[in-house]
Amino acid sequence: MNILVTELTDNTFDKFIDDNSIAVIDCWAPWCGPCRRMTPIIEKLSSELAGSAGVAKLNVDENPAISVRFGIRAIPTLLIFRDGVLVDTLVGLRSEEELLDYIKTM
Amino acid sequence: MTADVVIIGCGPAGLQAGIHSSRKKASTVIIGKLQNSALHGTHIENYFGLSETTDGSDMLKNGLAQALSFGCRHIDMNVTGAVRDGDEFRVTTESGEEIVCRSIVIATGISRRKLNIPGEREFLGKGVSYCAECDCNFYKGLRVAIIGDESKAAISSELMTRYASEVYWVSENISADVKLVDKALGAGVKIITGTPKGIRGKANVESLLLTGGPEIGVDGVFIELGGRSSSDLAMDLGIMPEEDDSLKVNSSFETSVGGVFACGDITGEPWQLAKAVGEGAVAGHHAAKRAKDMK
Repeated sequence: MNILVTELTDNTFDKFIDDNSIAVIDCWAPWCGPCRRMTPIIEKLSSELAGSAGVAKLNVDENPAISVRFGIRAIPTLLIFRDGVLVDTLVGLRSEEELLDYIKTM
Repeated sequence: MTADVVIIGCGPAGLQAGIHSSRKKASTVIIGKLQNSALHGTHIENYFGLSETTDGSDMLKNGLAQALSFGCRHIDMNVTGAVRDGDEFRVTTESGEEIVCRSIVIATGISRRKLNIPGEREFLGKGVSYCAECDCNFYKGLRVAIIGDESKAAISSELMTRYASEVYWVSENISADVKLVDKALGAGVKIITGTPKGIRGKANVESLLLTGGPEIGVDGVFIELGGRSSSDLAMDLGIMPEEDDSLKVNSSFETSVGGVFACGDITGEPWQLAKAVGEGAVAGHHAAKRAKDMK
């Protein structure tokens, strides 16, 4: 069963970061193979972290302003925020375990 | 062209799959370059029955000769795409030839992606990319270098001309099909012969340094080695690779998509000759059986 992950836009991005003390944003595009492989991982992550961190996706093709703002030049890229501040940028395919371990230590 | 079985990859798993498939009287095409096998240039001493250390390149040449003697056809090229078409599959080589088949065996091994040169890791996501298809849109009006000798570099170079202001294809020795090279040149790609030595920049990539001194001013460096990667091919066929790029198979070495088999390093560790050969035999047997059962 697919788990619904919040889809952000250039307009809803900032509110999501403000509303979640820890926010993980998966910047992706539909034509990108590694991004499609990240999708089930992000869905599991969203489920595992429900209540402790906000996990969302942002289609960079449809929302170029965020890509420009954060200097994104490769996808998939995960933007990690704590209390509204960007604390890390993870580029490339990552495993669920690696991401869970990383976020749980924040 | 049609075939019962197409085997993608020309290492020990693919060649053994070809031997078993053709021995079952299935028309079999093996597509791949011997020199791209992990066995090429190595020495083997832990394979059953060898009395002395054996040259891996010789084993590959002998294995190919054996496969050809049983009726396999060999295409010494990379595969650029593979798709499902009903119960059949269409496999395209870098020359543009399309082969329609009933079974596919993926025996590509694990794709080499990295150059391991200074700056490569540091600038990942800041100008260094391994996927032109994914990241082309971020380089509109910028200058990029594409590194690689084979079909993937040729295709990526041509693709990037639709986005970047300048596209330099940096290669030590181009071995892509001439049609792909001509297409890239026709699109405005500039070929530079050289060996990448390092990637330089401040916040983002600013230049690519070549052995011997030349430095090319670029905003992006795309590392596009070999042919279409095994995980991309798998996804083209509707198979989702595991997180480590391996493909899950059942006891017949068939993947989650009926008619698509996988064997060798691509099914996971241990990455050993004995495992590759054994899996190739089983995959070739079942791929041929499926193709013949469909007739």
